[in-house]
Amino acid sequence: MANERVDAVIVGAGASGSVFAAVLAKAGKKVVVLEQGPDWQLADLISSDFWGRRIKPASVPFLREGKNPYGYVFNAGWGVGGAALHYFANFPRLLPNDFKIKSEHGRALDWPISYGDVAPYYDKVAQDVGVSGDAKAEEIWRPVGAPYPMPPMKTFRNGEIWLKGFEAAGIRMVPAAVAMNSVDYKGRAACIHDGWCHVGCPTGALANPLVTYLGDAKKAGAEVRALSTVTRVLSNAQGAKVTGVEYYDAKKERQVQEASVVVLAAWAAQNPRLLFNSATEKHAKGLANSSGLVGKYVMAHFASGTWALFDEDVQNHRGTTGAQFMSYDRYGKTSHKGSFGSTFIVAGSALKTSDLGGFANARLDLFGPDLAAFMKRAARGLTRINAFGEALPNIENRIEPVSDKDEFGMPLAKIVHTYDQDALALWNANFTEGLEIAKATGAKEVWSGRGNMPTIHLMGGTIMGTHAGDSVTNSYGQTHEIQNLYIAGPGIFATAGASNPTYTILALSLRGAEHLAANWSTVAG
Amino acid sequence: MHDIERRAFVKGAAMGALAFTVGGAEVLLTPAAARAQGVPLRTLTAAQAATLEALGETLVPGARQAGISHFVDQQLSIPAEEALLEARILNVRPPYANFYRAALGAIDRASQALNNGRPFVELSEAEQRSFVDNMRQNKVEGWQGPAGPFVYLVLRSDAVDVVYGTMDGYAALGIPYMPHIAPSKRW
Repeated sequence: MANERVDAVIVGAGASGSVFAAVLAKAGKKVVVLEQGPDWQLADLISSDFWGRRIKPASVPFLREGKNPYGYVFNAGWGVGGAALHYFANFPRLLPNDFKIKSEHGRALDWPISYGDVAPYYDKVAQDVGVSGDAKAEEIWRPVGAPYPMPPMKTFRNGEIWLKGFEAAGIRMVPAAVAMNSVDYKGRAACIHDGWCHVGCPTGALANPLVTYLGDAKKAGAEVRALSTVTRVLSNAQGAKVTGVEYYDAKKERQVQEASVVVLAAWAAQNPRLLFNSATEKHAKGLANSSGLVGKYVMAHFASGTWALFDEDVQNHRGTTGAQFMSYDRYGKTSHKGSFGSTFIVAGSALKTSDLGGFANARLDLFGPDLAAFMKRAARGLTRINAFGEALPNIENRIEPVSDKDEFGMPLAKIVHTYDQDALALWNANFTEGLEIAKATGAKEVWSGRGNMPTIHLMGGTIMGTHAGDSVTNSYGQTHEIQNLYIAGPGIFATAGASNPTYTILALSLRGAEHLAANWSTVAG
Repeated sequence: MHDIERRAFVKGAAMGALAFTVGGAEVLLTPAAARAQGVPLRTLTAAQAATLEALGETLVPGARQAGISHFVDQQLSIPAEEALLEARILNVRPPYANFYRAALGAIDRASQALNNGRPFVELSEAEQRSFVDNMRQNKVEGWQGPAGPFVYLVLRSDAVDVVYGTMDGYAALGIPYMPHIAPSKRW
């Protein structure tokens, strides 16, 4: 069954797809956004750890392999808003050193653009979605930019209590940049610091897509079709252009949506899966994959969490799930001897009792009466810092189709992921430093939150570069091989940095979408 | 019920409480109330539910009365996309019942092999604690099933959910719950 042809079809209603939808719809283009999951509304975002799991995927189209299997569900999205419906809204930028690792260190990859190319879009996004923070304070680490539109967020004892430890370690902490309202902003209310960000903020204080770009896109006329699972990107007989997508609707009936431009914004793992499944005679290895690089160089962040238990009440239920304070003082690629990669440090997260990040898991070894006793003490005095680490791109970390298929006959894929020795060394170094910081706070007990090495965020798989021989897309997300096929989201990152990725996802998407709109006739032809 | 209608149902009226079947009708209850009322199980056998209760109580005191077995049983009876289980977040492949059956079976098989035929539920409290401590560290001799530490993580999470993850659980710890949108029935 065919639908009316549109200008642009966007696959995925998360952070990046929402930006493309808003920019193109405002430019007067007819836009359809296809989203695999439900049409979540703010009223669906119940303040509960277990009710909050409904907005994450349940089915498993990805098998997990490698020494550090990618644990994707907890930080993946499912439904309108995508993962940005439950993200923590930490908004650190990448820094200039992230874009030139190969040039400066002879390792990893260079981006085809510099920090200066992205910086104006960081500033634009801050105005669009609302960012609270102190840009001036950050400028000890990065070039000067525009001030943030809102002052820093309120801080609480669970964050402030760490400052003494950081000072002792010589680490400068500044107010965390977050995509949350410290004051009312653009008709959205200020945050009330109740710490339920991780299950979705229904007040509009946290800049999720529903209250920012996706809301703008709908107002400008974009249509969002939920429960619509895209299975293939369609291309013409010559293989030179894409013509639309095949998808299955809420009744599981096959549909075709023709469009002049296709934007894949379905997540760093799903975009390669779709490209593989869109193979034709002209694109035997999958669309945009003559280089064989589709699915390659997937990257994750890891975190070294350090816990401290105090006798005093640190009010750990207050604040936000993200952070109150942040530091780039260990962001240099060689900051820790014997390892390589950046570290981004945060302090002051609101804690809840259950779920992966809840304080029952702060001592996973405890059970029975010991756990019950710990929960009582933790409810009053537990707090945590986190050091996020960078893993370098490795071509062996990849997404590949497998023979098993989903209910629509689309092959599943596997995510193969192993950290290298540099990442392991950096993870360990950050634990060591975390304990030193914690001890200097005067806490009653301190310990490292060790377990399996975590895999947080997912980047790469369709990396950007200068030509089809070294990458899948250019810096705008436009595939090298098919000019009217775009990829949006963290999949186009050439390296991962250590910063939470969403701010950069939005900035790159805005840059790509504005470029597309400005060059529409050339691209859409 | 059609999938889409069912989804709409879950997004609306039932949000914040679980639907149990009582006398042929669906009613919204907390797992603790379902247990107290003796609501029939949908998915687990009586033996599996007993093992789960005993294990839950060993992991987190209060899990039995909080209805861990009725919580898990009800959750295994609904489509995976509606499930609230931590298994979902931990990348367990649906249907989740397969994992729970394998996990509970592994526990009882190992318990019987090591304790003269006694299943987990018949062990003393001290024996149950010792068994769980070994399972946590992957040290149960002859273990056959999903990895012991992973079973520990998933089932401990379920027990934590029903005891500490609810509004009542927060109240018991003296933590202000401060919801933006509260679950109904304090659950």
